[in-house]
Amino acid sequence: MVPTGSGSARPTTHNGEHYVDGARVIEYLPSSLNALPSSRYYLWLMAPALILLAAITLYPFFWLIWMSLQNVGAGPETEFVGFKNYIRLWADDKFWTGWVLLFKYSFFCLLFEITIGVFLAVVLNGHRFENILITIFLMPMMMAPAIAGLVWYYLFNSTFGWYHWLFQSLGILGETSIIGSTETAMAGIVIVDIWQWTPLITLITLAGMKRVPRDQLEANMVDGASAVRNFISITLPNIYPFLLIAIMLRFMDNFRFIDVIMRLTGGGPAEVTKVLPVYLFDVSFVFFKLGRGSAIALTLLIVTIIFGKLLVKVFENPASKRIDQGN
Amino acid sequence: MFNIPKNAIYKRINRRKFLELGGGVATALGTGSLAVGLNSTIMKTSVQASSSPEAKWKQYAGSKLVFMSENTPPSFAIRDTIKEFFDLTGITVEVLTDDLPVVLQKVGIDVRGGKADFPVFYSQDKPIGAALADYCADLGKFIKDDTLPQDPEGYGADSWFDNFLDACGSMYEKGKIVALPYDAAIACTFYRQDVFEKHSKDFEKEYKYRMEFNAKTTWKNVLDYTTFLQKMKKAGQDVPYGYAQHLGTFAWTTQLDIQRMMYSHGQWLDFKIDDILGSKKPGPTNWGDASSIEMMKQYKALADVCHPDNLANGTLELNTVYQSGQIAMQIQYHEFAASVEDEKTSKAAGGKTAYAPCPLGEASWIKNGGKAVNGTNCGIGGIAINKNASEDIQRAAFIFATYATSKKLQYNVLKGLGGTPTRKSVLAEPDVVAARKRPTKMPNALTFEPVYDFGIKAPNFVLGPKIPEVNEYHKILHAEVSKCVAGKQSPEDACKAIKKQTDNVHDI
Amino acid sequence: MSSRDAVVYKTPLSRIWTIFTVIFIAFYLLWTLLPLVIMTFSSFKDLLAAFQLPPVGAFSEIGLFFNFTPTTKHYYNLFVNLGFTTYFLNSIIAAGGSAIISVVLGSMCAYALSRYEFRGKSDLFFWIISTRMAPVVAVLVPLYAIFRGMDLIGTQAGLILAFTTFNLPFAIWILKGFFDNVPYAIEEASMVDGSTRFQAFRAILPLVAPGIGAFVILCILFAWNDFLFASIIGSGGAKTLPPATVELVQPQNIQWGSIMAAGVITTLPMMLLGLLIRRYLVTGLTMGAVRE
Repeated sequence: MVPTGSGSARPTTHNGEHYVDGARVIEYLPSSLNALPSSRYYLWLMAPALILLAAITLYPFFWLIWMSLQNVGAGPETEFVGFKNYIRLWADDKFWTGWVLLFKYSFFCLLFEITIGVFLAVVLNGHRFENILITIFLMPMMMAPAIAGLVWYYLFNSTFGWYHWLFQSLGILGETSIIGSTETAMAGIVIVDIWQWTPLITLITLAGMKRVPRDQLEANMVDGASAVRNFISITLPNIYPFLLIAIMLRFMDNFRFIDVIMRLTGGGPAEVTKVLPVYLFDVSFVFFKLGRGSAIALTLLIVTIIFGKLLVKVFENPASKRIDQGN
Repeated sequence: MFNIPKNAIYKRINRRKFLELGGGVATALGTGSLAVGLNSTIMKTSVQASSSPEAKWKQYAGSKLVFMSENTPPSFAIRDTIKEFFDLTGITVEVLTDDLPVVLQKVGIDVRGGKADFPVFYSQDKPIGAALADYCADLGKFIKDDTLPQDPEGYGADSWFDNFLDACGSMYEKGKIVALPYDAAIACTFYRQDVFEKHSKDFEKEYKYRMEFNAKTTWKNVLDYTTFLQKMKKAGQDVPYGYAQHLGTFAWTTQLDIQRMMYSHGQWLDFKIDDILGSKKPGPTNWGDASSIEMMKQYKALADVCHPDNLANGTLELNTVYQSGQIAMQIQYHEFAASVEDEKTSKAAGGKTAYAPCPLGEASWIKNGGKAVNGTNCGIGGIAINKNASEDIQRAAFIFATYATSKKLQYNVLKGLGGTPTRKSVLAEPDVVAARKRPTKMPNALTFEPVYDFGIKAPNFVLGPKIPEVNEYHKILHAEVSKCVAGKQSPEDACKAIKKQTDNVHDI
Repeated sequence: MSSRDAVVYKTPLSRIWTIFTVIFIAFYLLWTLLPLVIMTFSSFKDLLAAFQLPPVGAFSEIGLFFNFTPTTKHYYNLFVNLGFTTYFLNSIIAAGGSAIISVVLGSMCAYALSRYEFRGKSDLFFWIISTRMAPVVAVLVPLYAIFRGMDLIGTQAGLILAFTTFNLPFAIWILKGFFDNVPYAIEEASMVDGSTRFQAFRAILPLVAPGIGAFVILCILFAWNDFLFASIIGSGGAKTLPPATVELVQPQNIQWGSIMAAGVITTLPMMLLGLLIRRYLVTGLTMGAVRE
């Protein structure tokens, strides 16, 4: 790296310019151009963002670590307890159930979102109204999850909810609302997630499908019987990297947001929807057990970071890169 | 109008510490000017004991306070009439209202962080008061302070309804008052008189006694009524379901719901502690004993014949279910009478609903040899003052507390939005007396007989459990009771699970 | 080509397929729109009308849904009595403020990251993006403690900073992808003409401007729709629309009419903005991993 003093370009003269056959010939080049970019210049550009980010993310991280080693009781005093909070978590059924439910919730959301989303993409791809339809389908994604939770609560209500009336009329449900039974409550919160986020899967899949060679696809239209086989052998490999991205993103968002669950079931009935972040919310903001809460939060963060690492790997996956560049 | 005294002391409570720390960043971002935080400010004129009452009220004129409250009628009423308080004292009060769990969350964060964003806050006796008692100022010293304006009726236990001051004011220490009673939610039975009358004959044929509701009606009767109505409903008749419980998402009210049944039968208590003072070290819980298992069985038996959406309905939803005419009985807090009697929203309005005390214990269900009572519990919302606030802010806050719990204000709220008075004297007002009978202009007054004349008195009233870990206890109870009602575990296992987890919370 | 298409439409299997897709799309359209339609209609209904349902199984009486006298009183109530004007403005200031800060600081940082190679760059990059992935509940407590210490709770500045925790890493990550696509030659050419480095940076900004504009809007969308930060950090002085709406769930009466009206008010602007940046939506929502 060549130091270039202040890092910014110095004033240049234009004396050395002349034209040959209408093309500009430059005999003198500004020194800043040949010089490798100054590291200091770039650091200055990065600094504000990085400092701000560090202040609002690194400090909380270390705070969490420190706090997770404390016992925060009912009173104002805290006491250093080492790994006691973690040991306690190990024996805490609600902690483990929380993880199981979180994965169960994410799994069912993704299962349906991928199935419906990909199918919708197949149906929409090249459809006459593709653009207008997808635009309409995107609308639920723009809704605040907290509001979506309230709206669906209203729809599911057994006293005045239209969806409950529909379920009841179709014989799917009895008089118990979907969020009022331990058997169906999980389905209730999954339905809202499907409603909001299936379009994202469709959108991503569609972006992937645009890269499938067109003549191959048209060839499989001729022979209808092999359409399914061709979907598996041609389309799927092409959209696979995109689906992987979609899966990772949705998985992480299910970890990040609990707005819908908080509004619909609050983790109930009988804790069948008490996914780990909801339990964490209770421990930190209802019981004010900040030590235990921090320990839970850290485990959640670490798992998310591991997922993040995987996600970034997927992002840098040569397969999706190659397709990207081919476009 | 703004009587700014010459010797005013300006003291910004919001010290804007962020200018020293993160303010550098915030200011650099140009956002500093956007900061419109919660700040209480104080301005003071000295007064003596001999000063006029007016001077005492006005001593903090020009100050500003933030009051964090639950979104219930008294708070709306206070917000709507806050100008009156300003005219009286010159103090501006910003009234913030939120859901109870959110109030707990915000106040908890505030006081535990050593701050006083909310110098005065709503302290619902158990969820907030018992959990945060250590952070509440002792109001006793202000009551004795003759440089502060005082309520003409005083603050003695006699000026409030029975037990109210103890319910929200006594926490762990004798003599310390952590909150003054501001509003009250007392449980009583709301039932559909029209439905009862219509089916009384059929009922009597089958069960050999009359279908009616009064102070002698037992939990066993409630179970019978509910079973009877459910059977008719299942047979396709046009009747409402009988009863429904408070399960839903609001953990505290589930604890209250099962507590009423437990206390009715031999005055069972959750812990071996003083019901009035509570305890910071409650010791092992009584869950898992023979009484609790029997009661859990009966609670489950009742649940099995309740409204089918029993598990989804919390206190608020339950009231909606009752309003829509789907159930014939609910045990509900008496403040809800106003919404039940509202013809615009309720099918149970217009004389269809009658009010009775909470059911009596069934003698044959009592396992601990105690007596049968009409177990009644409450949420007494108090006004508490944040200990972190400066002395002057605390004093100014006390002036507000005095005003907010005064007879005049409570009377006005009762007349307006339908409040729940805590001062005895309100009930002596002639039009309040008249309102206890239909047709009434104050629907809540219809409940006064079962509530104020009966439910809150010994031996029916249960105040506790007051323990610091009360919110975690409520959640544990709520989860295990729900699991039992859902049929995922037996009543016995539920009681044992509650005991195990609760004792674990208390390091036993 | 065209003759081949004609053949396709004549096979019975593809005809069934066509019919099936039409039904599927119609069903999906209904499934997407119905909650939005019910929300909108209910916001114009009186409470008792909103509670009306036909008897179970009586599909012929479904018209009951449209049987009401429209009232705008819920909207009136929101803006006149419940202070939603303030909350709306709070939402705009907090979401807009955080979006602008994120994109301004983010584009500077992203540009530098795109042009500058150094050791540990990928680690730095991963750290940046991992802050975006952190579960909100997990960071809420420490963030609250810090903000509390700086007296930022309940202030617009605090809320803007809180939203920035997820918007800034997002902006850096995604804008880096944009700068990567701009050839260095353009800056070179600009510097040949005598620009300083910073001027060269500004010279390429117009090339990425549409993208930057779109991501300002996406950042607004994320912040606008946030609930947890808004309710805990912005509580009191900087209440935004989602927490204000949730607060309408009140002990005595859940004000469904007002809640639905508030839902419409909160959702509608975001849907319009979503339309505006429709082209960038996939890129934005997949953090740049997918381009349309």
